[in-house]
Amino acid sequence: MRFDWRSWRDRLRRLWRGSLRVRAVAVTIVLSTVASIAVGAYISVSVRGNLFDQRRDQIVVEAGRATAAAQSVFTQTQGTTGTPDLDTAQQRAIDSINRSVSTQPLLSLQRAPGQTGLAPIEDQASPAFDDAMATGALRSAVLDGGLDKVSWQSIALPETHGGTGPGIVAGSLIDIPGAGRYELFLVYDLSDVQDTLNFVQGTLALGGVALVLLIGAVAYVIVRLVVGPVREAADTSEKLAAGQLEERLRERGDDELATLARSFNRMADSLQQQISQLADLSRLQQRFVSDVSHELRTPLTTIRLAGDVLYDQRDEFPPATKRTAELLHAQTQRFEVLLGDLLEMSRYDAGAVQLDLEPTNLVRLVEDAVEWVRPLAVEKETEVRVIAPGGYFEAEVDARRIRRILQNLLGNAIDHGEGRPIDVHVDSDAAAVAIAVRDHGIGMSATDAQRVFDRFWRADPSRRRTTGGTGLGLAIAQEDAAVHGGRLEVWSEPGEGSCFRLTLPRRRGEALRGSPLDLPPADPDDESAATRGVAS
Amino acid sequence: MNARILVVDDDPAIAEMIGIVLRGEDLEPEFADDGAVALAAFRDHRPDLVLLDVMLPGIDGVEVCRQIRAESGVPVIMLTARGDTADVVRGLESGADDYVVKPFNPKELVARIRARLRPALPEVPETIRIGDLSIDVAGHEVRREGVRINLTPLEFQLLLALAAKPQQVFTREMLLEQVWGYHYKADTRLVNVHVQRLRAKVETDPDDPRIVTTVRGVGYRAGAVA
Repeated sequence: MRFDWRSWRDRLRRLWRGSLRVRAVAVTIVLSTVASIAVGAYISVSVRGNLFDQRRDQIVVEAGRATAAAQSVFTQTQGTTGTPDLDTAQQRAIDSINRSVSTQPLLSLQRAPGQTGLAPIEDQASPAFDDAMATGALRSAVLDGGLDKVSWQSIALPETHGGTGPGIVAGSLIDIPGAGRYELFLVYDLSDVQDTLNFVQGTLALGGVALVLLIGAVAYVIVRLVVGPVREAADTSEKLAAGQLEERLRERGDDELATLARSFNRMADSLQQQISQLADLSRLQQRFVSDVSHELRTPLTTIRLAGDVLYDQRDEFPPATKRTAELLHAQTQRFEVLLGDLLEMSRYDAGAVQLDLEPTNLVRLVEDAVEWVRPLAVEKETEVRVIAPGGYFEAEVDARRIRRILQNLLGNAIDHGEGRPIDVHVDSDAAAVAIAVRDHGIGMSATDAQRVFDRFWRADPSRRRTTGGTGLGLAIAQEDAAVHGGRLEVWSEPGEGSCFRLTLPRRRGEALRGSPLDLPPADPDDESAATRGVAS
Repeated sequence: MNARILVVDDDPAIAEMIGIVLRGEDLEPEFADDGAVALAAFRDHRPDLVLLDVMLPGIDGVEVCRQIRAESGVPVIMLTARGDTADVVRGLESGADDYVVKPFNPKELVARIRARLRPALPEVPETIRIGDLSIDVAGHEVRREGVRINLTPLEFQLLLALAAKPQQVFTREMLLEQVWGYHYKADTRLVNVHVQRLRAKVETDPDDPRIVTTVRGVGYRAGAVA
């Protein structure tokens, strides 16, 4: 049961927050319910009061008449000679009382307390009369009131079907000559008044409910009139956002909603135009990149072929020509690489990059890349170690691009590593996989580290670049990482070395939060780091 | 006798340079500078291999390849300035056996030419079954229920490599080495496109391959004998 309530509550909450219509109609209904309850209560109370007062006045007048009639009967007996027949008189008095009243009240004629002497006549009462109906307060009011006053009190009368109903007891004093003072109590049943009141209240309630529902319905209709166009605007916006740039709102009339529709349509026109322009520009740029690629590569092919042929035969040339062939060969290669990098950068700028995704074992990829740079590592007498606690699963990546990133990072690390060992860490967690290339060489300052991904930027322009870098390697590497939804980050400390960390999400399309590797990761055999307590 | 290579490229400098390189390797070049000339030269002289530039005036290089393929299984190597996957796949699907991106290393080009010219010699029994096909090794024929299926030499080699070792899962690198003869890291896209071409020819339903099955994350394997 508890679980049910909670889910209902959540459902209601969502409904409340999600629909303007629901809110408006609910508020209208609540407020009009409150108003109609207030008005209905007021009407009910005042009708009740009025009915009661009327009946009470009627009862008091009747009781007064009855009392006067009975009193006159008893007074008349005083005038006759001889001992008066009080019993007969009493009976005649009661008859006269009964004739004086319109309804059939319960009746009781009893001797007032506190009188001396024996009672010459019996107390008379209707069978259903109960002494408790005349309360102490009423009795004392009657005694204090004297002969001409009628006192009354509301009481609860037992009903025939159980429970109690409203009633009024009227009390007065009669002076019976020769017997003393007698109290006359008349008990009136007000259940008919109660019935009338119930009927009125019932009608009010029904009317109130009907009114509230009607108001709710009216509110719903009105809200729909207003919310309808808003809904339409929301749906059209949705379609525009999804790429259907032709969608527009209907403009009807001159009111505020029409103004909204007109402004919306103007905005949509502008958006459509902008987007089309941008798409055209992008297409133009891609076309340009493509054409440049073809055009430049054609003469370069011949130059390459010619240069290579000469280079192969260089030993047959005189020394100066041999050297010329070597320089030509080297610079042609450099030109080719630069052209390739430039075109790759252009593709990224134009947004024209297509990923060739393949399930790839990243640790194997790292090992292959390390193999690839082995000649350079041997030449620089640098040891390259792979430390891979994780990352053995098949990741969906463009292997060519990741390989390119790794070769670039490794090349840079060996170049700047000053012969000290280079560590390549690979690790993964539930959300991401990371590869970090850590060298212990010359390092760079914090400002340099920030600028290292800029195009054509070199940390030390005078340094000889053994790997023949173009200045675009890291910029392209960063783009390669970004196009996978990943990140390429750098840490560096002058004299300590640098660390470049590549983090890729395990599943395409997921945003990256942290990284499985620290930057920089802890060195594998660095006890001093442990004793220093370096954060890792 | 030296192997004859038909060089089809509209840039005269490249064509001439390639010619110099080929002659230096004891290969005999012939030249064509557009699609129509290329087709005529092909039909007249029946070269041992065709080097085909994709961007040609008149008839497009891809169309030339298709027409050559329709008539013959001669090895065709594409030359292209565009290394984008879409262009490469287009060329390979039209029937080329390999592609080289300009500018290229002349030694690499020569190595690929030699690999394509080399006849294949694995020791295998005379008839092999794969799926519901039967392969006649010596006759270089593949039949399904007696009906012959036309495959290029390279496609045939690919199918044979898989069929000869039915339990073996071949990685793309293994196939490049065994079928194409490349002992270095070549582009695995070659294998992907050729497998698709093969499937288009031999599978009853190319989308549900039974003869050349994919082993996800590793490579390809021969399907069970039907």
